[in-house]
Amino acid sequence: MKQPLILLTALLACTGAYANTTINGSVESKCIITTDTDGVYGNPTGDVLSTKPADGGVTPIIRYDIITADAYVAKITHPDSFTSSPSLDDTVTWTGESEAGQMSDSTMSAFNTNKVEYNNTTEFDLSVAGSVWFDVTSEADYGYEKAFPAGNYSAVVTAGCIAQ
Amino acid sequence: MLAAIGGYVNAHQWTPTHPEMRPAHIQGLHTTRMHLFNSRKEISYYSIRVFDKDWVSVPFAATPSLIRTKYLAHHYSDIYIRRIDLKRAYYICSKSKILDTVKDPSIIASRICSKIKK
Repeated sequence: MKQPLILLTALLACTGAYANTTINGSVESKCIITTDTDGVYGNPTGDVLSTKPADGGVTPIIRYDIITADAYVAKITHPDSFTSSPSLDDTVTWTGESEAGQMSDSTMSAFNTNKVEYNNTTEFDLSVAGSVWFDVTSEADYGYEKAFPAGNYSAVVTAGCIAQ
Repeated sequence: MLAAIGGYVNAHQWTPTHPEMRPAHIQGLHTTRMHLFNSRKEISYYSIRVFDKDWVSVPFAATPSLIRTKYLAHHYSDIYIRRIDLKRAYYICSKSKILDTVKDPSIIASRICSKIKK
């Protein structure tokens, strides 16, 4: 008789009991590089390959998520050679540009004002936390108004995030 | 909302931002542990490199130094640097490797470099 009574008491005590479980987490400083849109070269004229929408291309877009301001520098390099292409017997002239387009904070417009360009690389000081989308344009001109041979062309955009 | 969900589908993360080198169990070596998170579906490999302030390669060993990864996989890599190279070692970087078989018209390679805590 005594044992069932103890069990019943324990059961009653349990029904009213509940426990708090803590979920812990922390957000550490980091830079996240997200490939938002893969680019596509358009071929507006025979001698030009361009990612500009006006030329029938698709601009590659890379998103950077910045958790802590002033922790990283973004380095974006537009192509200066093809990674794969048909055999080319003339010179290819490369041009390109990187700029901050969409941004989660209007003060990120300073990224464009303060950007540093050298060779085919653009450096942005990620001085504001948030998300920013960088548009990268790339254009290849072949010879002197010479038509690109038919085939598939690939080039690489390098998106870098360097800790300060 | 869609942008927020879609945005993390193709991302590369490399942490910590400022890794601290500690003496390893092997004499003369210092080590740190780096974490890679791959959510780039088209990327299966990442390479690790160590550089000095002027982007000159610094000798190092890592387990592994070429990370074979799957989509949404986490990887930890132990980086070992000799004590004599410790002063000049400045950045530990991971870079996405694109296979020759990938024939997309425009490919994006991502590289993230952490700066060693001095």
